[in-house]
Amino acid sequence: MKRLIPVFILTILFSQAAAGKEVRIELRAGRYSYSPGVITVNKGDLLAIKLVSEDVTHGFFLDGYDISGFVHPGETREIIIKADKVGRFTFRCSVTCGEFHPYMIGYLKVRPNINLYAGVSLVFLLSLGSLLLVLIRKKNPSNRLFGFIPMDWRMELTKFKPIRALFKSRWFPLVPLIINLFIFTVILTSGIVGGFSSSGNYNFGIMIVWILWWVILMLFLVPVLGRFWCMVCPFPMFGDWLQRGRLINVGRKKSFGLAKKWPKELRNLWPLTILFFVTTFFSGFFTVRPLASFILLAIIIGFATFISVIYEKRTFCLFFCPVSGFQGLYANFAASEVRVKDPAICKKHTPKTCVVGNENGYGCPWMEQPHDMNRNTYCGMCLECFKTCPYDNMAFNIRPPGTDLLQEPKKIAGTYGRQGFDEAFKGLSMVGIMIVFFLTMQGPFGIFKDMVRATTLGGYFTFLLGHLLLTFLALPGIYSLFIFLSKIMSGDKNASFKRVFSAFSNIFIPLGLGIWAAFSVGIILPNGSYLLHVISDPFAWGWDLFGTANIPWTPFQTGIMPYIQILFLLVGLVFSLEYGYKIAGQVFSKKGEAKRGWIPIAVFLLGINIFFMWLFVG
Amino acid sequence: MWKREIVVIFLVLLSVAGTIFSVFAYKNAKEANTITLIARAPEKGNWSPQTINVERGKEVSLTIRNTDLVSHGFYIPALDLLVGEIKAGEVERINFTVKEAGEYLFLCTIWCSEYHMQMRGKIIAR
Repeated sequence: MKRLIPVFILTILFSQAAAGKEVRIELRAGRYSYSPGVITVNKGDLLAIKLVSEDVTHGFFLDGYDISGFVHPGETREIIIKADKVGRFTFRCSVTCGEFHPYMIGYLKVRPNINLYAGVSLVFLLSLGSLLLVLIRKKNPSNRLFGFIPMDWRMELTKFKPIRALFKSRWFPLVPLIINLFIFTVILTSGIVGGFSSSGNYNFGIMIVWILWWVILMLFLVPVLGRFWCMVCPFPMFGDWLQRGRLINVGRKKSFGLAKKWPKELRNLWPLTILFFVTTFFSGFFTVRPLASFILLAIIIGFATFISVIYEKRTFCLFFCPVSGFQGLYANFAASEVRVKDPAICKKHTPKTCVVGNENGYGCPWMEQPHDMNRNTYCGMCLECFKTCPYDNMAFNIRPPGTDLLQEPKKIAGTYGRQGFDEAFKGLSMVGIMIVFFLTMQGPFGIFKDMVRATTLGGYFTFLLGHLLLTFLALPGIYSLFIFLSKIMSGDKNASFKRVFSAFSNIFIPLGLGIWAAFSVGIILPNGSYLLHVISDPFAWGWDLFGTANIPWTPFQTGIMPYIQILFLLVGLVFSLEYGYKIAGQVFSKKGEAKRGWIPIAVFLLGINIFFMWLFVG
Repeated sequence: MWKREIVVIFLVLLSVAGTIFSVFAYKNAKEANTITLIARAPEKGNWSPQTINVERGKEVSLTIRNTDLVSHGFYIPALDLLVGEIKAGEVERINFTVKEAGEYLFLCTIWCSEYHMQMRGKIIAR
């Protein structure tokens, strides 16, 4: 807090000096950006915006100030804003103007941007403070999270009898799955009737999938419950049915069809990393056009069913599903896990029913070794092992977030090429994809929006190339540089580049969750009110099932959005600093080496977090 | 054991086929006595249908669905019947009676595209 005081004093001086100036700006609104996209004024200025439209009717809604207006083509509208709040405020189009309407955004910057200064100061304080603590501390790093939560603290939820009974029942998670099947039937139907050129912001499928599902996934499900979505995901249901011949009862143990085995070298996160990356090429279509969303979902469901008759068990979920990769990687951070209670029981137990299955359930469909799991990445939480274990030795635990990040690779990880470059590049690419999504969906630059929605083929290929270079060259390049420095500064000759690169890449898990959470807040707060509309009128046929169809678009608490985003970024930073240093202790053999090797990584975290502070609030 | 398998198969079919069937059944029941008019900018399909036949003196229930990406409006000058802005994705319902036989022009009232002036249709009352 001490650092903030000079900033506050500065503000007061600044605001008095600048009070009263009048700024006149002509703001031209055209699909799908404003020109100028960024307006900068000083605190106390009187901003007079002359709003004009270049094509169709556009609107204007300013976050934080809650000022709104609209303009028809050929008219002008004056909007007067007394710039008495400082920071960066987003203004957005408030009248549906085309398929990219929800992404039509501009920024009003009222200087001095205290939010940015405070955010950056806190990033400095936290990173340099923690680095200082690390360097002066004589004791060995503790095996407690933040020095007080024991890493092996667990609370077993399944010790409560009703929960254990639920997990052992074959009706669970089947019943939630069937409910989800119903929801997705509505989503797919709305995607088809919505067509290619009707507005996505009034479409049930688009809204439920990209506003509700994605946000719940990134804000709650993945960080808290890990792969919980995989437990209730209806996509592989028909594949399972084909393979097993039964829906609820225990049918064939060996998958129906060819039941091929997935190649050993590809049993890692590489296929999913590439597939998700390729999926993002079409983000300018499936997040706004109902039919494109339908096609994406239909391909996923069709493919899931098709793959299940070629390859064994859940090969699709493990190595094909585009959204499985980040869920698996980020699930290692989750505050929950499926693990054995007493490894000694498993050691004596042959054959391992959790692997081969018995009359109560199937052998692990995710091809894990439930009796010997140390990370969440490939556990789909299908709960079959709770059903097949005759000793009730499986547990569903609540744990301190992120304990899997410190798990050393097992032997099988080496055989399959897991926990190496595959996870590192998955983590890195999720950061690159977030930057690209932010610039195209929440940024003020119309040129990027025109690229991703492919107004010109050249523009679209520029986007693909830029996305590829940023995600797979620039980001990994910068990271490699710091890894290289870390290796040199540590002086540890035994630590290989690959080992240092992949071990430290775990910092991208808390960091990634932080930035994706901040990004998700920027989706749900402005656009959440559409959900109320679509549940009452899912097919845009004029229905009003729950009496909420006429609720207009109402941004919710977008004024406090920057503070929430800063908070999420800082939480991500705190966890990545904490785990990063612990990882340094594992990578380098001596204490001094770990300390020296940690310095460049801490500086990297400092730098990348300043960048994200600037991106979100600067 | 077989009983529960059948129950689940039934539930799965219900949640897929049952949902689709009831959605369309509900739609048909709701729209049984109305005329649906789809509003789109001229280059994207214009009013559809562009000619609406009604009976003179009988109440007409008209459902106007804007399936477009921009706002449209609906206006019948001769009847002085104005429905204001219908936003993209929204649906308006109106009831009116045409007393005398003849042709009635209806048009869009919001600048929706450069071909906005061509966004017209007619109601023929017999």
